[in-house]
Amino acid sequence: MSKANELYLRFPLARRIEHWTMFLSFTLLGVTGLAQKFSTHAAAIALVKLFGGIESLRMVHHSAAILMMFGTAWHILVMGYSVFVMRDQMSMLPSLQDAKDGLQALLYNLGFAKTYPQMGRYTFEEKMEYWAFVWGAVVMGATGFMMWNPITTTKFLPGEFVPAAKAAHGGEAVLAVLAIIIWHIYGVHIKRFNKAMFTGVQTEEEMLHEHPLELADIKAGIANRRPDEATLRKRKRMYYPIAAVLTLAMLAGVFGFINAEETAVSVAPPVTSTAEVQQTPAP
Amino acid sequence: MSLKKLSRWLFRAGLLILALTSLGLLLFALPVQAAPAPQGEKPGNDFCLACHQKEGIDKTLGNEQLLVAINPTEYKFSVHAVEGVLCVDCHSDISDYPHPDVKADSIREFSLSFSENCKGCHEEQYLKQHDSMHQKALDEGNQNAPICADCHNPHTQPRIIGQSSGKLSIAARKEVPQTCSQCHGEIYAAYQTSAHGSALADGNTDVPTCTDCHGVHNINDPRTDSFRNNTPQLCINCHDDDALMKKYGLSTNVKESYVADFHGSTVMLFEQQFPGQPTNKAVCTDCHGVHDIVRASDPNVGIALRENLLVKCQRCHPDATANFPDAWMSHYEPSPEHFPIVYYVNLFYKFFIPLVLGGMTLFVLTDIYRRIINRVKGAKHS
Repeated sequence: MSKANELYLRFPLARRIEHWTMFLSFTLLGVTGLAQKFSTHAAAIALVKLFGGIESLRMVHHSAAILMMFGTAWHILVMGYSVFVMRDQMSMLPSLQDAKDGLQALLYNLGFAKTYPQMGRYTFEEKMEYWAFVWGAVVMGATGFMMWNPITTTKFLPGEFVPAAKAAHGGEAVLAVLAIIIWHIYGVHIKRFNKAMFTGVQTEEEMLHEHPLELADIKAGIANRRPDEATLRKRKRMYYPIAAVLTLAMLAGVFGFINAEETAVSVAPPVTSTAEVQQTPAP
Repeated sequence: MSLKKLSRWLFRAGLLILALTSLGLLLFALPVQAAPAPQGEKPGNDFCLACHQKEGIDKTLGNEQLLVAINPTEYKFSVHAVEGVLCVDCHSDISDYPHPDVKADSIREFSLSFSENCKGCHEEQYLKQHDSMHQKALDEGNQNAPICADCHNPHTQPRIIGQSSGKLSIAARKEVPQTCSQCHGEIYAAYQTSAHGSALADGNTDVPTCTDCHGVHNINDPRTDSFRNNTPQLCINCHDDDALMKKYGLSTNVKESYVADFHGSTVMLFEQQFPGQPTNKAVCTDCHGVHDIVRASDPNVGIALRENLLVKCQRCHPDATANFPDAWMSHYEPSPEHFPIVYYVNLFYKFFIPLVLGGMTLFVLTDIYRRIINRVKGAKHS
């Protein structure tokens, strides 16, 4: 049996949809956001024009943010299912081993270690990116809320928090976009073109190179095992109501995010010239 | 009848003498310099003033009395007199006495009948004025809309453009608001109380007068969206001038700080693409006022005071509360003294971004290095 012919499911369709939802919203947010951050730059001006003006560009930015909020909510529900119902191993949690793996990889690259670290379902690179995304989503969500709802924000916080949120939102955006370009594009597309997010599967050879510990677990039959049907049914009966409440809470959260306030009047205030032209002829 | 004949004869004789004298002078002056164009049969100003300097002479137009007396002393100092313009150059329908009948039924109608007469010498200004909203108002039937002579009384208008500088003289600059106040009295009153207007009244001509913002002859409607969208540019014309602002201890960072802010970057981007469409983002005048602009540091109404600024914020953000004005950084660059949270957030990212990205880049570089080495050695990357 050829090693390369054996395929292992890495990302089921639902996870791939999740990824491409995030891809779409992240790209739109990055493009429309950086155009606003660097608004005096010629490229930004051209881009704003392409989107039909600053107001419609902002609508795209806000829509993409809403999409990302939904994506995040969906991810939380899926993770809840994975953890509470399926009782999967929490393979994305960072551990000391990841730091050791990272160090070993660096030493190996520099020629100070003989072997590259052997890693499981998620490598230290993948975990780093995932948690960086979580951190970014929290920062961008919180600061985005402050800018979207400055009146609500300043009811509870000093006014200065609004421009501070803008500063953080912009800084974090630059960091996130460049990190994706450097870390994600290199790690997933340049180093080796990883098609798992397109096809959902990896070959045994790919698994052996990138996730040997996971492959070993699968071969040994100790990877995530499906619980028996009775247990599953019992857990589902527990989880679904919780998930329903959680869903409602998150939807309410998104709704609140979008509709917390009417920030500004929608039309320009009239120029306050109370003085009308006198109708007196010149002498 | 015979008196009329006599006067006509005298006039013709006078003209003949004048013509001969002019011819003599012309011949005499010709080798030195090209003389002014011969004035043909036009009567000289003295001829007109012989009658028109009499105080109290008037002409009945409809049921109004138009004073037709000209003060020769005042006239003598007018730029027209200095330049040797003849009465009949403008009053071109008159070449003789008695004058032809005046058709106008009112003084205004009579004035308006002259509105074309300036074009001959002042075509540029005339054409600009025809693009103005004053002309538009006139065309729409507002008889009080100003024509040239309403701002520039042709009998008394002194020289206002410096002969060597080609610019409006300082004395004339000071007069501009009064000229406009003839019709725009309330705006003038507001302007007088403003930082700009009160300085002008104190003799400072660095400040803008009406025409600096509204234009001179081609004054456009300032109530349009395009005018509003262009406001920041208008203010920046002066407020970006380092030398000028330094004199008064004013910041020249107003443009950068405005554009760096949400309102400014929006208006700037918006203005470039949709200059004629309304935007609800604040421009300079929305917070600082239009004609009644006061110093931000004014102890009573200055918007350096949060309470005063809040009132301005609430015009667009009706629900804004006490903390809200600080969301706008008041043209400050964030620093440890002003808006320290913003300053430290920026500082954090100034180091955090290169630290993270630098670390990532270094790791990627080592990976590339190892792959090259392995390929050269024929070894296989794990």
